[in-house]
Amino acid sequence: MDRDTVTRVAKVARLELTEEELVSFHSDLEKVLDYLSVLDEAPESGSFNFNPIPVEDVLRDDVPVQEHDPAVLLRDMRTYQDYIRGPLL
Amino acid sequence: MFCAINPDLDHLQDGQFDFHFSAKDNLTTVGLPTRAGSRILEGYRPAFDAHAVEAMRQAGGLLLGKTNMDEFGFGTFSTNSAFGVPRNPFDLDRSCGGSSGGAACATAVLDGHVALGVSTGGSISCPAAFCGVMGLTPTYGRVSRHGLLDYGNSLDKVGLISRRAADLEMHLRNIAGPDPRDPTSCAQPPMGKSAPVRSIAVPKDALEGVSDEVSRSFQDALDRLRDDLGLKVETVETPSFRFAMPSYYVLGCSEASTNLARYCGLRYGVQSEEITEHFDKYFSRIRSENFGREAKRRILLGTFARMVGFRDRYYMKALQVRELIIQEYQRVFQDHDLLLTPAMPFTAPRFDAIDDMDILEVYKADYLTIPPNISGMPHLSMPCGYAQGMPVGMQFVANHWQEGLLFDIAQRWEEAFRLRAPEVTA
Repeated sequence: MDRDTVTRVAKVARLELTEEELVSFHSDLEKVLDYLSVLDEAPESGSFNFNPIPVEDVLRDDVPVQEHDPAVLLRDMRTYQDYIRGPLL
Repeated sequence: MFCAINPDLDHLQDGQFDFHFSAKDNLTTVGLPTRAGSRILEGYRPAFDAHAVEAMRQAGGLLLGKTNMDEFGFGTFSTNSAFGVPRNPFDLDRSCGGSSGGAACATAVLDGHVALGVSTGGSISCPAAFCGVMGLTPTYGRVSRHGLLDYGNSLDKVGLISRRAADLEMHLRNIAGPDPRDPTSCAQPPMGKSAPVRSIAVPKDALEGVSDEVSRSFQDALDRLRDDLGLKVETVETPSFRFAMPSYYVLGCSEASTNLARYCGLRYGVQSEEITEHFDKYFSRIRSENFGREAKRRILLGTFARMVGFRDRYYMKALQVRELIIQEYQRVFQDHDLLLTPAMPFTAPRFDAIDDMDILEVYKADYLTIPPNISGMPHLSMPCGYAQGMPVGMQFVANHWQEGLLFDIAQRWEEAFRLRAPEVTA
């Protein structure tokens, strides 16, 4: 992983790195990726799941419910007439 | 060890509750802040209790407070919290382990306490071993993750830390069961009683890389399991376990990098007064200012592992390796009830020694706890000896849904082994 790749990955992850962080993470990630290359030696299992146990969809009737009081959910957010305020699009 | 105390404690009457408990700070709690060890969640007040917290309260438990942890569970020594570092009650210059370090410490010093912990790659076994208490990580999906601030959603398990085997069984029955709010909890069979444990498998290379003092305690424990408890102990080969750790860091970091995308200074925790910036600049600034170093490192690694061109080599391969490890465990469990290793390769390290570790040394410290975690197998860390006054832990692993075998061995070992309490008390 070169330094430009670290910068590109950070941008995708929405992280602004200082010069010191860039140098340090570049070094750390190179070490870690070097270690991860042992995965190339692992045999193919032929199958996989996204969870360690079989999981099935759980469905419910399509009926609107209100689990939480919207006022409680909004109490710590910056709002304007019950809309959440955010930065510019 | 606590990063928030229940503000109502002074007003609550003795005798009103059947037991006291704590919740790791990545479980949501009404009336107490939930920050998961991260500055980015400063000010977050959840509107609901996590399922496990709700179940413990309904069972008659008094929530004492929230226990400190590595930021979002990213760590082995609880040194990655934005809110201080819990110290080991057996030696205050040493780590409690992580990431449920505060939970294990509270259990060690508070008589009769039971702590809710969470394990992704070993965050219950490790601190339980370092603090000389019992740590139970149930099968993935046994306890609903509703209200858990995800680290890796295919890896996270809510579990328990206690000084008494009976408490582990009683409270797992309180918090386990299907919950439609977490579909992964709905595939579980009921938790029944199991036949007594008769045979234990020990991987041939279980002591490779383990310190001499941990090896000695572990060997003594094997002798006692054989001689005093009458168990058959046999050596087995587990060649695919060496791929568990790299797979874990790929899967854990990949999932973490997506799960942590929601923390951007809008809906939870920290918000900036200044919101006139473009959203991209605003989100990046809030995240950069408030995530800790280890969180940033894991987000970068996970984002990289999922990128086009690298996804097949890392993420897809890691998923296949997880399947191999599950198959390997299940081969062992055809002939044995449990698999046993030390819980950690060394006793709780001093903080100055941790400072000197490089990133790979820290990651590699988890190599014994990762195989059962990545494969979702239930496991139990129990003290098995003391080395220069510090606790040594061993870790039993059972097949999916076989927690009953762990309760059986926990009770029998508890009768055979004298647990020590630290001299430091709360």
